[in-house]
Amino acid sequence: MTAVHAEPTAPVVTDEPARSARAVTALTVRQVRRAAVLVTALAAAMSALVAATHASTIGNAAQAESLTALAANPAIRTLFGEPTNLADPGGFTVWRTGIFLAVLIGAWSLLVTTRVTRGEEDAGRVDLLLAGPLPARHLLQRQLAVLLTAAAAAGAAATAALLASGTDPAGAAVHGTGLALTGMFFAATGALAAQIFPARSGATGSAVAVLAAGLMLRMVGDGADALGWIRWLTPFGLTGLTRPYDTNRWLPLLVLAASTAAMTAAAVFAGRRDVRGGWLNPAPGRPPRLALLDSVPAFALRRMLRPLAGWAAGIGAYFLLVGLIAQSMITFLADNPHFANLASQAGFAGLDAVEGYAASLFALLALPVGGFAAARITAFFADETGGRLTLLCAGPRTRRWAAGAEILVTAGGAVVLVLVAGAATAAGATLSGAPLSVAESLAGAVNVLPVALLSLGAAVLALGVAPRLMGWISAVPGIGGFLLLVTADSVNAPHWVAQLSPFAHLARVPAESPHLTAAAVMLLVGSTAVFVGLTTYGRRDLAA
Amino acid sequence: MRTAKLSKHYGPVRALDQLDLEVAAGEVFGFLGPNGAGKSTTIRLLLGLAQPTAGTAHLFDVPAADVASAHRHLAYVPADVALWPQLTGAEILELLARTGPGTDRDYQAELVDRFALDVNKPARTYSTGNRQKVALIAAFATRARLLILDEPTSGLDPLMEREFRTAVREARDRGQSVFLSSHQLAEVEAVCDRVAILRAGRLAEVATVSDLRRLHRTEIEVSFTGELPDLETMPGVDTVETVAPGHIRFSLAGPPGPALWALVSADIATLSVREPSLEEIFLAYYGEAIR
Ligand SMILES: Nc1ncnc2c1ncn2[C@@H]1O[C@H](COP(=O)(O)OP(=O)(O)OP(=O)(O)O)[C@@H](O)[C@H]1O
Ligand SMILES: [Mg+2]
Repeated sequence: MTAVHAEPTAPVVTDEPARSARAVTALTVRQVRRAAVLVTALAAAMSALVAATHASTIGNAAQAESLTALAANPAIRTLFGEPTNLADPGGFTVWRTGIFLAVLIGAWSLLVTTRVTRGEEDAGRVDLLLAGPLPARHLLQRQLAVLLTAAAAAGAAATAALLASGTDPAGAAVHGTGLALTGMFFAATGALAAQIFPARSGATGSAVAVLAAGLMLRMVGDGADALGWIRWLTPFGLTGLTRPYDTNRWLPLLVLAASTAAMTAAAVFAGRRDVRGGWLNPAPGRPPRLALLDSVPAFALRRMLRPLAGWAAGIGAYFLLVGLIAQSMITFLADNPHFANLASQAGFAGLDAVEGYAASLFALLALPVGGFAAARITAFFADETGGRLTLLCAGPRTRRWAAGAEILVTAGGAVVLVLVAGAATAAGATLSGAPLSVAESLAGAVNVLPVALLSLGAAVLALGVAPRLMGWISAVPGIGGFLLLVTADSVNAPHWVAQLSPFAHLARVPAESPHLTAAAVMLLVGSTAVFVGLTTYGRRDLAA
Repeated sequence: MRTAKLSKHYGPVRALDQLDLEVAAGEVFGFLGPNGAGKSTTIRLLLGLAQPTAGTAHLFDVPAADVASAHRHLAYVPADVALWPQLTGAEILELLARTGPGTDRDYQAELVDRFALDVNKPARTYSTGNRQKVALIAAFATRARLLILDEPTSGLDPLMEREFRTAVREARDRGQSVFLSSHQLAEVEAVCDRVAILRAGRLAEVATVSDLRRLHRTEIEVSFTGELPDLETMPGVDTVETVAPGHIRFSLAGPPGPALWALVSADIATLSVREPSLEEIFLAYYGEAIR
């Protein structure tokens, strides 16, 4: 070693790592803030709105009593969760919005987590960040801190809204904490999956599978008394076990907090790996699989098959369950006709016949099928920005044609999902002995296809016109329309407001015959959106 | 391939300004320019991946915007090759061959061998150079009439660079045209018939490699035993400097005849003529850009 002059010639840069850590926090905040604000606002607005309209929905204590009896039915509990104190505005709000908000916050948390962690890594941007003085595990910790805070904020917003509505503070705190912890749990799940799988798609897919399994466990635990303990195994069950505005139990929240902490610790621990690597790295070599590589549409199909299988499994399992509990549901409602009236006032009309019951649940099918379609177009745009489409676009075909093939294949996938849902419901109904034929079941499922195709149309429109806003634009017909309808119903908004929602125009098939005009209008709007989107897409510059 | 007043503006940035260029069939055409000169932009316009702000581009007398027909005779290697990470090299080559303008499978297999690419690995595991090899093999194996290559060797090692030059020559021998954007002057010098130099979105020069040299000054060093003739006044002669007594150096543009005749009378002892390297020419253009 040569001698080194000891006198400091330049200021010592000890705060360099701290500064870059702050920069990473700021970057993560920028990446999540817009959606975080929206989710938080939605949690607050829905809670406040439903709490405020409680009096008009549930007229008196006797009605609440009846609704409680209705909700004690295993089938109702399977679908909508175990209600607690429906006479209380807070308790009613928890029952109406609790599971929806828990799924919304949980799903958003895990999607955004895999996006800012594994997604950024896939894109190669993490390498640049880590070339600075910041160690890899600090990067993950910083990102997790922001993501966990965002999830917690959404739960806190629900609590604040319920407090502002004048409901019982203890119940509001228990409910909000449950929502916050659910979001945090799935953020941590997403982070752990992002360490295990070396690609964003695998990480997101497996984390979504955990969420779907959690929901299924909750449904089984709520529906079957003997299996009630299963609810201790899933965040959705644990939040139900807290019984906000009733017994306000904190023990399930402690369990959920402990699992969240364990999951977070596991994610941070699993973060000791190579950048761009994972714990489940695929084999470094394999013989070629040449099927479905012979044309652009075939290749679109090849890329769709795996995600389609995942969506089909989730949707199929849910609608099998719907079919399985159909008999118990309609027997109960037929024996207690006044409950069916109450149910319709609470937003679940016509549940007393299997056709009405099936129609109510099929309406929900438009959301995941539309979500699938939007996810495929989002993936197509990701291929474009990632430069993977460039080589295909240099081939002898127009870009409009390549995108058109992708859209057609996606529409085909949506049809498959709808048929899977119909077949699964029919299978479940047959097993449970409910009088629902395969044809009726398929008709009910196919009936919601136009709404799902509206989501596809919105996504394609965004692809051409404003691809960076695709997530928002494609959510308008499905999630937007659903929320609009539910909200308009809850607050007794003017008739035309609810009519803006495509769900308002869905006939209750198989209880009624389909609204062919409405379906045709929706298909027309959807195709127009696809046409405009494709035309613009063909003209705009290729991103990347 | 030809362009007329082809321009692309990104807001106030003139990425490409009024480019007029023509590449004949069977020609290997080099496309040089500093970073951000607009080379990739030109290629994206030629491929119809971006729309020109003004001007036109034609490939095989078909407007570049008519990609369905224009791309029937064309293969492309982008500057940074992105591949589907879960597909193996073999699968990607299959996809590009089946959806491209027609591929010679035997030649493709030969190229895989020559470029030493392990096609059984998923693209996720490929290095930059390996990704580039996949795109190069796919492009060279086509029977397309025009190959558009955007900095195709930036990630290749010298051995592969040599294979690349061989493949370009083979393409020329088959009658394919090559449009080669590059920073590697030695490569352009070795394989190109003509070069264009682009600077800040504008065309600075188009010439054959030898013409380009001729356009520039040749440096001549002479030692002599006799009287020094009056070179300064001769056309084309510039900056005569005396290195040592009886030893001068000067630069010359244009035909060397008159200056050499004058020197003959001075009894030349040694004479060295040095042509400028492409690099020096290139730097002259770059230097002007900086100034
Ligand atoms: N999408 C875009 N938006 C705005 N400006 C752009 C865009 N694409 C390119 N430019 C600008 O156009 C100019 C030319 O870029 P181009 O990529 O063509 O350069 P290049 O000659 O290929 O450079 P390099 O040798 O670095 O690859 C640059 O100034 C660049 O910043
Ligand atoms: Mg470039």
